[in-house]
Parts: sequence; structure tokens; C-alpha cells
Amino acid sequence: MSEIALKELLYKMADDQLIQGHRNSEWTGMGPLLEEDIAFSSMAQDTIGQSLALYNLLHQLGESDPDTIAFTRNSTQFHNCVLTELPNKEYDFSLIRHFMFDTAQAIRYEALTRSSYLPLSQLAIKIRGELRYHTLHANTWIKQLGSATDESIERLQKSLLYALPFALGIFEESPYEKEIIASGIFEGEQKIKEKWLTQIQKIISQTRLTFPDIDLIQPVIGGRTGKHSEHLQPLLDEMSEVFRIDPTTEW
Amino acid sequence: MYGGGNTFEGIKTDSIQQEDPKRLAEFESRIDRGEKIEPSDWMPALYRKQLIRMIEQHAHSEIIGALPEGTWITRAPGFKRKMALMAKVQDEVGHAQLLYSAAETLGKSREKMIDDLISGKSKYSNVFNYPTYTWADCCFISWLVDAGAIVNQLANAKGSYGPYCRALDRICAEESFHLKYGHHCVIHLASGTQIQKDMFQEALNRWWPPMMHFFGPSDKISIHTDVLMRWKVKMGTNDDMRNQFLDMYVPKIWELGFTIPDPKLGKNPETGRWEYTEPDWEEFKRVINGDGPCNKERLEVRRIAEERGRWVREALKSPQAVYVVPLA
Amino acid sequence: MNSLDPRVIRLPKIEQEDIISPKIPLDQFGTFEVFVEPKEGKPFQHEGIVHAPNLEMAYILAKEAFTRRFTCTSLYVVDTREVYVSPMTEGENNAYELIPDAKESLNEKTTFEIYHLIKRGKQHVHQGHVAASNPTEAMAIAKTIYNKGKTVFNIWAIQSDKIRFTTQEEKDLWVTLPEKKFRDASDYKGGSKLKAFLEKEK
Repeated sequence: MSEIALKELLYKMADDQLIQGHRNSEWTGMGPLLEEDIAFSSMAQDTIGQSLALYNLLHQLGESDPDTIAFTRNSTQFHNCVLTELPNKEYDFSLIRHFMFDTAQAIRYEALTRSSYLPLSQLAIKIRGELRYHTLHANTWIKQLGSATDESIERLQKSLLYALPFALGIFEESPYEKEIIASGIFEGEQKIKEKWLTQIQKIISQTRLTFPDIDLIQPVIGGRTGKHSEHLQPLLDEMSEVFRIDPTTEW
Repeated sequence: MYGGGNTFEGIKTDSIQQEDPKRLAEFESRIDRGEKIEPSDWMPALYRKQLIRMIEQHAHSEIIGALPEGTWITRAPGFKRKMALMAKVQDEVGHAQLLYSAAETLGKSREKMIDDLISGKSKYSNVFNYPTYTWADCCFISWLVDAGAIVNQLANAKGSYGPYCRALDRICAEESFHLKYGHHCVIHLASGTQIQKDMFQEALNRWWPPMMHFFGPSDKISIHTDVLMRWKVKMGTNDDMRNQFLDMYVPKIWELGFTIPDPKLGKNPETGRWEYTEPDWEEFKRVINGDGPCNKERLEVRRIAEERGRWVREALKSPQAVYVVPLA
Repeated sequence: MNSLDPRVIRLPKIEQEDIISPKIPLDQFGTFEVFVEPKEGKPFQHEGIVHAPNLEMAYILAKEAFTRRFTCTSLYVVDTREVYVSPMTEGENNAYELIPDAKESLNEKTTFEIYHLIKRGKQHVHQGHVAASNPTEAMAIAKTIYNKGKTVFNIWAIQSDKIRFTTQEEKDLWVTLPEKKFRDASDYKGGSKLKAFLEKEK
């Protein structure tokens, strides 16, 4: 097993979760209803907690400590997909992104329960319940709002079309794809993507939303190799504003 | 989080004379026995009115209180602080949810309460009308404003209204994490670099006056609320609460090497009570009445949050789900 | 908006209405009662309410509103309108005394969950279930089974099939809860750091 391939996998997953969790945490105290405010914040906490677990695995593999990795890199050193760094916009987009991202997470971690890399399979088994809640939450909301008023349907439809090219970027393949599959660490992006499409379409088909012809959609890739939108660097600047005052001290 | 104070000023007690004396006597003897009043029990109109007012203000303080700290969620330094602060601010929203529900058992809907908050008709704790300039301001709130709130809440949890007490029991249990977390943050600033120490000292200088205001006007100038004390709606005087807070936390602040910006502050060994420079109650009134540094922004943010959520709530509306008053 | 808060600066502009029009009750949702099982084998107890448009939404919203902080093993929710409530008593008076004795009915029976309030000011706790054809009959039957020991001040009866229970499959929703130490006071012990600081300052 090549360590570099494993690290690449861990980095992209961890960065995805950190950035997604960070974005979702911006809603805390500003959600559309109190109970949902609480639920959305919990999921952001889960997601950041999961990223921390992965940064800890990386640390055990010789990388810097989690705080240094997360709070001192520049955007070009981040491996998250562009979907996660996009600004929150309105709740329709935040929900659609949560639906697409967490569906992919649930499928990815389900596959990782069979990973030959034990720390990862253990983590995947442990957080199954967290991800079960995330997808239950996402599916319930999408089914509700996707079949409710003209406004909610139109908003979700627009956000769905806007998010899809970015969501396909979740499955951008790694240069080590073959290796990582051969080593049994991870079954590869292609397989995850197929399962994801089936699952997303299954939920969308239970609403009044329409799912476009996926073959006509050009995925937005580049995130995995550090090519990001203009939104990531400001996010990181904000995230590390206090930490950077003195990265060597304890806060 | 919640400050006491101006909640009860100027109440009219005339309505008590119109209550059925027999029921009133039963009600009062139930409270004297230390039993809780439940929503289905008879209660005087004034009791209901003042409780709604108090619990509603408390709930508003939680939801508005989520803003000055919430701003630091995206900037918290390191994973430990980031996750703690997310969970803490989330708890404040959770407390609002619990408290609105408790107030609802008295017959005012949550939507009506939120309307009254946004229109400026009902108040919230003054302390949240001040800005958090630095990370240290946020740490001040987490530790000391929460500490003040706990003093109030522990007292109120011994009050007479069942649903409010239950909500407060849960809230106090949750707050123990807030207090520990806040103190942990400040210990780290105190034992850190000069920059960190200065950062907290400056925050302390800014926040001390609002912290003294937090417990409400001095007993010398606030209107007596005997009936509310007797009914166990109000559980202690403003000065008692303030004194309790000073007794518990001033030594802890001094211990960390910080200076409290009040040369008169000290405990009188004879009376056992704390003495301090009289807080500026004119400023307190000004801020309560809308003229604080952040009043406008706080309400505007709340209004925008409500407006942005409107389409969501409209879409969720269903003729099958009908609002009813919570049971307990 | 001009603000110190970067999140506030990012907020979209919303048209300022001169007068805030009071909301019609349109977005006041239904009310759902929430019950939590603190430990495997311990009875469920009432914890509070959520507002939600339907039972399933109530379940997902209640989950984080009521079970994110303290360890627990299960949760369920029910529409407040489905909770049948006995009269409330106090002192030595048992609420069951106000429930007429059961008259065996021949109507079709369904299951009801029964809850007691045994201390005023505390929560209702689940006792068990009975088969009955209506809530009054359910309380009457409960009187013959569960009215033992402590005085009961209030009784609730809820038809079981109106409840959104946690499924067997969903039991893992709370698996990682004990590990979320960042929400726990025990994770913020400053003692040793404080001691070291005080030593140094001396």
C-alpha cells in the first residue's frame, strides 16, 4: 500500500468535511426555524468532528497536528471539492448541498466499512449512526420542500441545477485511483458516484423536482488538486484570523 | 443566558383584588407548601402575565445572545475552540426553544413572541447590545456572562412555575459546560503571551460596566415586587444576585492576574457584601430603550433571519398540523 | 449592513417594511410531545415539545433539540392532540381516584401507552401499555394494573400507533453521543494549567 495514495484520500475527505462543516456552521443562530437551527448545527459539528478524526489519522502517519494542518494552509493546499466552499446563499442551496454532500458521505463511508485500512474502517463503522441521521434529515427536508409550494419547488429546482456540476466534482478521481482500489482501501470514486446518482434520483423522484440529463452536465473539478473558486481563500482567512495571531501559542 | 432587572418594573397589582379570594388563597398556599404550579392549574391573571413576560424575555435573550458569540464561530482558533463554541451557541438557541415552549404553556404562541421581539415591543438582556471586538470579548461572554446567567437561573429554577423550572433545570445542566469552557479559554489567555493577556484585559475593561448592569438596577431605585417574590416568580433582588456573582467570580478574575476597572470594588469584611462604584443607570436605561451600540443590528439580524426563513415555513405549513398549546 | 460580524456583512439585504406585519398563524406549526429513553431498559420520559409540520419532521427536529447533550438510547414523538390527559390532583389525592372503574367493552382494542406524573413539577414517565378501545377505558384498565405505590397526580394515555418510534435500524443514531466530549464540562479541566500559572506568578 502506498502511503501517498492513502494520505491523498484522507486529505480530500478531511478537507471536504472541514469546509462543509464550517460553511454549515455559519447558519447557527440564523436558521429558518429554531429546531432546524439546532439540527443543522449538530450536523456541522458532526462533520467537523469527522474531519478532525481524519486529520488525527494523518497526524499518526507523520503529518502535522490537526490544528496546524487545518488553520495554516493556503487554499492551493486544500483538497476539498469546490461544492463545499461555495457561500451558503439561501437555505434552498444549503439544503441541496447538504443533501448531495451527505448522501455521498454516507455511501463513501459505507464502502469504507470494508476498507483494508483498519483505522478507516473502524471510523466508518463508528460514525454510521451520525450519517444515518444526516441522510434522514436531508431526505425528509428535500421531500417536504420539493413537493410543497410553487416557491419552494422553484427554489430547490434552481439550487439543484446550480449545485449539480459542483456535486459531480465530489467524485473527481485521484491520480492514485487504481492503486487505492487495488489495495482494498477504497472502492474508488466511480463506484461511489454511480450509487450516489441512483440514491439522489430516487429521492428527487419522490418530489415535484426534475432531475436533468446527467450526461449533459460538465462536472466542476480541480478542487482535489488545489484549484479552487475565489471563495475558499477568504473562508480560510476568516477561519484562521485568531489562530494566526500566534500559531505557536495555546488558545 | 439571561440578566434580571428591569423585567418587573412598574407592575400594576390592582387586578389581584378582582381575583376569586378562595382560589387565590389555594394558589398561594400551594406555593407556600413549595409545590409547583402546572399549566392546567388556576392562577391569577397577574401571575400569568408576569411569567409570560419574564420567560419570554429570557427566551429572547438566548436567541439574541447567540449573535455576539456566534460571530466568532467561523474564527475560533483551533478545533477544540471551534467545536466547543459551535456547541455552546447552539445550546443558546436550544435554550430559546425550551423557554419559548415554557412560555407557550401560558397561552402566548412562539410566533407572537418572536413578532414582539422584532418589533421592539418586548425586551431582552441588555448585555447583548454590546459588540464583541475580539476573541477575548467572546471568551468574556462565555465565562462571565454565562456565570451571571447561571446565578439568575439557579435561583429561578426554584420558582413556582413547573414548566419554567423544568426548562431551567435542563438549561443549568447544559450551562455547566459553558462555564467550564469559558473559564478554560480565559485561563489560556491569562497564561499565554502578552498579546493574549492584553486582549483579555481590554475585553474585561469593555465588558465590566455591562456586566454590572446585567443584574438590573440597584434595589435602591427599582420598584418593589413583593407580590412577585411571594408568588416565587422573582427569586432574589437584583443586588443579591449581583453580590452573589461578585462573591463567586471576582476572586477568580483577580487570581488570573487581571484588573477589574473599578477602584472602589472590594468586599466589606463587616457586612460581607461587595462594594463598588454605582453603575451608570442612565446608560442602562438608554440601552434598554434601544440606544445601545448594537440594538439596531441585533434586531435587524433577527428580522432578516425571520424573513429569509419565511418561504421555508410557508412551504412546511400543513392543514393537518394544527398549533396547540404544549401540555407541560 | 455595517457590522463587526462577518456573517452579518454577508447577509442579503431584505426590504425594510415600515410596519412589521404580525404573522398570521401560518407558520406556527403543530405541537409534538417528545419522549426520551435515558438508558437501555429505563422508562421513556417526557422531555418537552417541538413545533413541526408533521410527525416525521417532528422526529428529526426533536432528535437534536432533545438528545444532543446527554447520553440516551432512544426517542419518540407524538402529536400533542393525541395525548389524553387525566385531571391533575395534589396532596394525597390520587388522579386514578377520579377515573371511573373499567367497564369491559366489546369494541375492538388497540394499544395505549400509559404515563404517570408522581411528583408535581417533574416529568411524566412511561409505565407500560394496555389494550383498550378508547383512552378512558385505557386509563381505567391502567388503574387496575399500574396504580400501585406512590400517589399519581396526573395520567397520560397515548394510542401507540400514533407515535413515531425509533426503528430498530435507527438505534445507532446515538452511538457516538458518549464520545462527543466537546459538549461536556469534563473536557475543559483548567486545573493543572491554572496551578502552573499560579506557581509561576508567585
